[in-house]
Amino acid sequence: MNNIEVVTVFISLFILFVGLGFWSSRFRRGDLSDLGEWALAGRRLGSYLAWFLVGADLYTAYTFIAIPESVFVKGAVYFFAVPYVGMTFGVAMVTMPRLWKIAKKKNYVTAVDMVQDKFNSKSLAIIIALTGIAAELPYIALQIYGMQAVLTVMIGQLVASNAATITEVSLIVAFIILAAFTFTSGLRGAVVTAVMKDIIIFATVIVVIVLVPMYIGGFGNAFAHMHKLPTGNTTLAPLYLNGFISLSIMSALALYLYPHAINGILSTSSTKKLRMSTALLPLYGIGLALLALFGILIYGSTQALALVHQYGAVTMVPDLIYAYFPPWFVGFAFLGIFIGGLVPASIMAISQANLLTRNVIKPFWKTMNKKTEARLAKYFSIMFKFLALAFIFIIQATYSLQLQLVGGIIILQTLPAIFLALYATRLEKWSVGTGWAVGMIVGIALLLYSNFVQFKFPSIETVFFKFNTPLSFLYIGLIALSINLVIAILGSLLVGKLKPAPSVKPSTTGSQ
Amino acid sequence: MNMVSDNVDNTISLETKGTTTQKILVAILLLVPIIVFAITPLYNVQNPKLFGLTFFYWFETLWLVVTAIFFLAAALLLNKMEGGS
Repeated sequence: MNNIEVVTVFISLFILFVGLGFWSSRFRRGDLSDLGEWALAGRRLGSYLAWFLVGADLYTAYTFIAIPESVFVKGAVYFFAVPYVGMTFGVAMVTMPRLWKIAKKKNYVTAVDMVQDKFNSKSLAIIIALTGIAAELPYIALQIYGMQAVLTVMIGQLVASNAATITEVSLIVAFIILAAFTFTSGLRGAVVTAVMKDIIIFATVIVVIVLVPMYIGGFGNAFAHMHKLPTGNTTLAPLYLNGFISLSIMSALALYLYPHAINGILSTSSTKKLRMSTALLPLYGIGLALLALFGILIYGSTQALALVHQYGAVTMVPDLIYAYFPPWFVGFAFLGIFIGGLVPASIMAISQANLLTRNVIKPFWKTMNKKTEARLAKYFSIMFKFLALAFIFIIQATYSLQLQLVGGIIILQTLPAIFLALYATRLEKWSVGTGWAVGMIVGIALLLYSNFVQFKFPSIETVFFKFNTPLSFLYIGLIALSINLVIAILGSLLVGKLKPAPSVKPSTTGSQ
Repeated sequence: MNMVSDNVDNTISLETKGTTTQKILVAILLLVPIIVFAITPLYNVQNPKLFGLTFFYWFETLWLVVTAIFFLAAALLLNKMEGGS
């Protein structure tokens, strides 16, 4: 009865969403058989659309599902996401206009085009491209977990049996539809639907954060009903101070290394518009902070906790909404969270496809023309979406945020090749390559050691490495990046010293 | 954007224009919000509370607004320094 209303609203809005996705191919029309048009929306986005697009990179299932779940289960350390979003746009204000200018000057479509040109090394470019592609996969998988969480609650409340199967089938259907409109509309589809997604999400967050505290007797009551969380309830447990700081700073450095974030940056129409939209992005973070607070709020609600008990911690945000709001609002909010996973998944798959075609395949296929390049990228975007989907059917997530943080350890290893290369003139390819390799090995080895030996977990459940005090817990990304940076910088200095004189580099142009 | 791939646009300058004072001001505007966020012990306290929330939670949330204001000022200044249309 009531649950049918939820589903009706959800499906009606989803149809609207799909309609917008297909319509957007006509939005600021361009030749969609050109990769720059398909993947960068013709580089014509102004401040507002860029704000929505880059906001869509940030405002994902990471925000709606993973962070609130982590605060709910583990406590205060996962509020690190708030300093992270504050700081990351400071990093972007410095690095991204410069990247934009270099890209415009040399007509680069991806950051890896710059790596290829700067270091004059095909192998280094391919390594960096593949690292970016790999780091996106767990990020996309996280989006799918978020979508699955919404469907689990909605379908679980609707039918008595077979809920799991229906959820899986619905997820696959949603992905086929998404693949179809990403194929037709490219980044335009993501931008236009991102606007719809953000309006729904903002409305939902504001309504929930105003009304729910009134129903449950405020945050004071929620804190009073909390059991003791491992990393702190009302404040951060001192043992996790370094963990908090290292997670927030490293995440802030990592965001703009992701191919999808850089893709969004390069699609803006000028550095001035880019700066304005970036400066205002911390405001998006307020939504993230409020959602993270849902993880505390839920302790004041026995009804919502009963649903969490039934469907799992990952469904915490949908449960809280379901417990307190009328069916039409539940349908509205659930659709927002659902497309909040779909739209970023689309953007991420576009950027992966872009990298694979342009920076991994094209160097070996010199005769590939523009039409083939764009067509190939479109097919790859479908492939990556379903690869991520397969990933989640095979691997059972114990804890959704860990996926993204593992991706962070991987993507951070591209920092010397991308961020340092924006400024340094003396960086040398072998040093950067060795730094990358050692950083990757150390990162993955520490991750495995920490989980399976130090803590004896059955799967990847932590991204911290435990030292003795005073260091205590540190994000593994920080350790791996530090080693990587030392090798890249010292190596470049050393090689520079050995060379008799800095050779005059012939002006390489473009990236072909 | 139908430029041929090996075209290089030499009209774009990578240099940061502006006076030293302007550059220092931009650095301050960008660094202050970040440094405050990075010094976690500064805000890892219980009181004062707001709407029942401890300082740790509400301060970080509110500091995002301050951050946006600082960054916006930096953006306006940088855009002015860059000149042009």
